Amino acid sequence: MNIDWTTFGLEIVNFLALLWILKRFLYKPVLETLAQRRAGIDKTLSEAREGEIKAQGLQAQYESRLADWGKERAKARSELDTEIALERSRQMQSLAKELAEERARNAAVDAHWQQEMQREMETAALLQAQQFATKLLGRLASPTLESRMVDLLLEDWAKLPDQQISGLRAAAEDPALAVRVSSAFPLDEVQRGRIIEALNHRLGRPVEVLFEELPGLLAGLRISVGAWQLHLNFTDELASFAAGANHVDG
Amino acid sequence: MEALSVIFSIGPFGITRTVVTTWGIMLVLGVGSWLATRRLAVEQPGIIQAALEGVVQAIESAIATVLPERSTLLLPFVGTLWLFVAIANLIGLVPGLHAPTGDLSTTAALAIVVFLSVHWYGIRSAGLRAYLRHYLSPSPVLLPFHVLGEFSRTLALAVRLFGNIMSLEMAALLVLLVAGLLVPVPVLMLHVIEALVQAYIFGMLALIYIAGGMQSQAEQASTQTNKNGNTP
Repeated sequence: MNIDWTTFGLEIVNFLALLWILKRFLYKPVLETLAQRRAGIDKTLSEAREGEIKAQGLQAQYESRLADWGKERAKARSELDTEIALERSRQMQSLAKELAEERARNAAVDAHWQQEMQREMETAALLQAQQFATKLLGRLASPTLESRMVDLLLEDWAKLPDQQISGLRAAAEDPALAVRVSSAFPLDEVQRGRIIEALNHRLGRPVEVLFEELPGLLAGLRISVGAWQLHLNFTDELASFAAGANHVDG
Repeated sequence: MEALSVIFSIGPFGITRTVVTTWGIMLVLGVGSWLATRRLAVEQPGIIQAALEGVVQAIESAIATVLPERSTLLLPFVGTLWLFVAIANLIGLVPGLHAPTGDLSTTAALAIVVFLSVHWYGIRSAGLRAYLRHYLSPSPVLLPFHVLGEFSRTLALAVRLFGNIMSLEMAALLVLLVAGLLVPVPVLMLHVIEALVQAYIFGMLALIYIAGGMQSQAEQASTQTNKNGNTP
């Protein structure tokens, strides 16, 4: 229980020295290392937080951009739909126009084809009618009928308008003109005389008349005065009938 | 006492075994610290560095439980107390060596250092006048009791550690003499525990005394502020 004051004093000095030694070589380096580690951890955490904030910002920016893209896509889709609708409408109108034109063209072709068919049928019918009438009138033809037709021709000749008569007279002024009278049956002298008299009377001067027989006329007469022809016979009448029908159709 | 035996003298001062053992402890702690902290790694600490960091952090957290805002300031003093007292207590287990803390001169010296440090940290914390004023509060009548308390707790600090360690060494010696070589082993285990507990108690009491000195200033300042604030 004794206290040695030298030991007491030295122990105080020793403790203070030990305090300095440990503070210098133990606490300070270890605390500095711990502080550096904490600073590193804090720095890493700070960087992580900054990274997180940056990532959140990028995420928000990305989401905003996605939203913008969505709007732009919807807008482009709407514009495309509108454009497609317009183009479709335009093409439908064009197609409808082409179809209408095609229908009109087809209708015209059909109408023309039907008219052509009708004309051909009418021509064929007229031809058949002509052939039928030719056969029928050929069987009916006789000198008596022809005599009657001479009478009718002379009546018509007498009733020719003055305008036609003046044309005939102008043609008959040629001294070399010879009037040709064709008949299906032979004409007797009386009939020939009546014909010559009628011609001379209306032409205003005596003309040379040549008589000939054309059995193809079936019955009746054909009088040629230069370029002029007057006829009243079955063949020419039927031909005129057929030509008149074609002329009307054409 | 064998502890007072002088090994050699330097002039008029006789150097006892206690002082020599203390120097040995200082040498071991100093060189060991220097070697261990030469190449501290921030990223991947080794086993020794991890143990050192664990010890320092344990001391710091123990201080922080009592005085959170001043743990870094008190770490060197209280940590050195714990380390030195623990090693000084345990070194008596090494055959041929004597525990310095089994010498009243050492424990008295440590108690005086604690006594002075309480005032040092107290004055450093709030200033001399404010620190001395706390002896007069709540009433100047209590001044003798404060002074008596200061000395009595310092004396208790020194005697408690000295008595425990001296008695432990003496008991171990008696058991060894009476029962033979292997029987004292459980007693030695008890010695280890007791040595560590005594070191912890000594350091913790020192910490509490210092914290009391510092916090009394803070409480006084807070009370004064409240009084001034409530005064119209």
